[in-house]
Amino acid sequence: MMTAIRNNLPVLVVVAPLCIGFVLPTLVRRVRLVETLVIAITVIGLVGAGYLASLVFSGGGTTIVYSMGGWPAPWGIELVAGSAAVLILLMIAIVVMPIALFSANNLSHEVGASNRTVWFYTLYLLLTGALAGMAVTNDLFNVFVLVEVATLSCCGMVAARNHSRAAEAALTYLILMSLGSALLLGGIGLVYIITGHLNMGYASQELSRIWQDYPRVIWLAASFLLVGLGVKSALFPLHVWLPDAHSYAPSPASAVLSGLAVKGYLLCLMKILYNVFGGSLIQQLAVDKIITVLGMLGIIVGSVFALAQDELKRRLAFSTVAQLGYAFMGMGLVNTRALTGSLFYVLGHAVSKAVLFLAAGAIITASGKERISELAGIGRKMPVTMAVFTIASLSLVGIPLFAGFVGKWNLLLGSLDAGNWLAAAVVIAGSVLCGAYLFPIIRIAYFEPAPSRDLQDPGMPQKVGMLLLAAAVIILGVVPGPFLELARRAAVDFLAIR
Amino acid sequence: MIELVLALLSGAAGGIIIALMPRASRRLRNIIALTFVVLGAVFTWRVAGMVLHGQIVGISWEIGGLPWSLQPDPLGAVFGLIASTLWLFATVYSFGYMAKEHKQGTYYTFLLLAFSVTLGVAFSGNLAALYLFYELLTLATYPLVIHRRDEEAVKAGRKYILYSLSGAGAILIATVVTYAWAGRLDFAGGPLLASVGLRRGAGWLLALFIAGFGVKAAIMPLHRWLPAAMVAPTPVSALLHAVAVVYSGVFGILRVVYSVFGHELVRQLSLGRFLPWVAAFTILVGVIVATRQDVLKRRLAYHTISQLSYILLGAFTLHPLGLAGAVLHMFSYSILKVSLFFAAGIIARQTGKLKVSEMGGVGWKLPLTMAAFGAASLGMIGMLPLSTFWSKYHLMRGSAAGGIWPFALVLIVSGLINAFCFLPTVIAAFTGERGQQVLEKGGGVGLMLAPTALLAALSVLIGLWPGMLWPSVESVVRSFF
Repeated sequence: MMTAIRNNLPVLVVVAPLCIGFVLPTLVRRVRLVETLVIAITVIGLVGAGYLASLVFSGGGTTIVYSMGGWPAPWGIELVAGSAAVLILLMIAIVVMPIALFSANNLSHEVGASNRTVWFYTLYLLLTGALAGMAVTNDLFNVFVLVEVATLSCCGMVAARNHSRAAEAALTYLILMSLGSALLLGGIGLVYIITGHLNMGYASQELSRIWQDYPRVIWLAASFLLVGLGVKSALFPLHVWLPDAHSYAPSPASAVLSGLAVKGYLLCLMKILYNVFGGSLIQQLAVDKIITVLGMLGIIVGSVFALAQDELKRRLAFSTVAQLGYAFMGMGLVNTRALTGSLFYVLGHAVSKAVLFLAAGAIITASGKERISELAGIGRKMPVTMAVFTIASLSLVGIPLFAGFVGKWNLLLGSLDAGNWLAAAVVIAGSVLCGAYLFPIIRIAYFEPAPSRDLQDPGMPQKVGMLLLAAAVIILGVVPGPFLELARRAAVDFLAIR
Repeated sequence: MIELVLALLSGAAGGIIIALMPRASRRLRNIIALTFVVLGAVFTWRVAGMVLHGQIVGISWEIGGLPWSLQPDPLGAVFGLIASTLWLFATVYSFGYMAKEHKQGTYYTFLLLAFSVTLGVAFSGNLAALYLFYELLTLATYPLVIHRRDEEAVKAGRKYILYSLSGAGAILIATVVTYAWAGRLDFAGGPLLASVGLRRGAGWLLALFIAGFGVKAAIMPLHRWLPAAMVAPTPVSALLHAVAVVYSGVFGILRVVYSVFGHELVRQLSLGRFLPWVAAFTILVGVIVATRQDVLKRRLAYHTISQLSYILLGAFTLHPLGLAGAVLHMFSYSILKVSLFFAAGIIARQTGKLKVSEMGGVGWKLPLTMAAFGAASLGMIGMLPLSTFWSKYHLMRGSAAGGIWPFALVLIVSGLINAFCFLPTVIAAFTGERGQQVLEKGGGVGLMLAPTALLAALSVLIGLWPGMLWPSVESVVRSFF
């Protein structure tokens, strides 16, 4: 039994949440049971992802290749648990579990009736499974299917909030995402037409042989894929849907959307660009430069827009646009340290932003105030919530000993390796701007007179959820060793394919 | 080793304890604050003594491939010595000055946290640790700047944060470049970039470092946050914005010149020849602007800007005598400036007068305060028996010996303008009719007056017996030359 589980771990992390997600609606009247079940599953998922990561990590750069149904590639579908995959799986598991804990007994006021809570959990698990699938899959068509599953679950989660603007935000999201999906499918189709393969490894081999014969097709495929996945992962200026969707969604959904969902698409883009096209081909197509420049623009413009927002969740949503800019920038610099930084930054941002959105949700639930200017004195009334908010803010600003700093440090080294001084300057400018839009929240919360109304921290599961994520922010900053090593190996793997 | 950790953690521990006791009485809070500051100071003196006697005290660890270390060298020991001693005085002064203020819990929490962080800057053994504490210092002192919580304070706080974060950003880039070039970050094994030598972009790297640390060292034109930060309570202005925070910038520049580049490499850079001019410009313009300020604290702030560049000028001479003058000035200037600020605080508290033009006759009401103020003013001109005479003397000798004698003239001119800056105030304070009511009795004035007078006396003592500082100055100079 144990060996069976161990041998099938790469597929179980994908299939288990998907299957259980579909079973949940049968328990629609047993909300508490569903909540417990979801927490239990996410804890098991964390153990599974941790075990898989330890297998890959201790193997010293080995990748676990799993053939679905025993059919070897190129006939069957291949799942690959390499360094990048397990890093992202770990990230998903680390973030998903505390959010599930936070949601326990805390959703119904945001999504309306309690039976809708169960449907929300279904979508939550579907999204988790789809994201895990994106991490491990090595098949282009699989990527498309999983992206669709994730997109539709995200859309449902945005629409779940009983807020007048939520439906509108979800519709915008759906329309733009359909456009993205269509382009993604077109891009995958073009790659399939010229290479005859859907397996990334085989497609890459074929592509490196024939790319000179089809320069226009390859250019078209690359631009389709870049725009398609760019819309989904909020690559500036294709981010327009994100602020609405992420700020009007229920808070746990905002946390998972901002923390994880966009990262899944980002990873897909990274995998397709590096594992299918290969580093040298994307440099020839100048895709790397486009991504770097758009990433830098995203950092600056996203931050400036975040500064202008007075609504707490909207400011955090624009901050996500800016922070994703760092990941894109590192992805476009095409060297080991920049890619390491990019991957680690994705991880650091996932935990930090999840904390921020959960804390924002707790504040809005308790006080009913959505504007930053109305948060005076919250820090004294809700000490735990504001403490974790502060920790996550320090991480995003890039203070040493917090997760964000480690990523920024490697991004800076990578920028210098690439000889790109502008990128280094933008990393720093982004940090200063990040301080400019996050610190005032902390100042208002702690240093302005408290309201007379009685507010308090949310319940125990919510507090534990937030504290777990905050602990992750600090652990990633103080002992990043193994995670950084995984990210470095992943970067080396990505760059190994020419 | 254990002394180092205890010295570093005392302030933070005290700050956290005070934060956890929001309902503690004022008396209890003061006792806790004083206890932990004394503890921190005693351990710091112990560490400084060990370091200055040539022992190696340090700890280091590694995070994700990036080394961090705390290992003070003589320069760090000197900074720690100055900071911890003055922190004691400022804490006692605060008991008197802050007695009727609001939010004292927050005030003491962050005063003590800033103590720890400043010692962290002093003790940092590599660039990564220096950057960390330099950044943290901004965050720890921000609540003190906005203590009044009104619009002006919040605006000043915003300015302070933005200037400081930008400076820290420049330092971070520069640190990354240094790491990429030299492959190490520790200060212990000689100048970091000595092995790299003169390579393209070295001048830019130096400029980036100086700009980054220059924000807190208030080099013109990066000084704008400092006059604004004067909205903070006077003990904060005295301790942080005349000494601890601004010294962390000066300290950073000394580090960059002597530990990152090394004086030989800086001498080869064309920027190295330009730097004394930047310092001289700030010295003169700072003090001239100071004479034109009517609000006493603003005048003192611009005067700080000018005086900090004395230290930088000494460092930029790249000559042992100049560096000796710089280190002596770190001691002597800080003692007198804190005394000046303390006196200004007493004047404001007891008479409500903030402007120089209103201070006629104040001396008869506050004779001891104004006596200390007058002594400190003489010190700023550089007169004997005050300790600043000796530092200026060495700065001038260093300029001459370093082959840049015009800067000795700058110092003389600056001394003259200093006379115009403070002496008229002192003279005016003792005009008018005598026999007014003396306001120096009761109500915690003693707690403010004692530190003020003691510091002025300390300066005279050092001025009469400068040899007491010489061993530490000598070991700093020896460690770099």
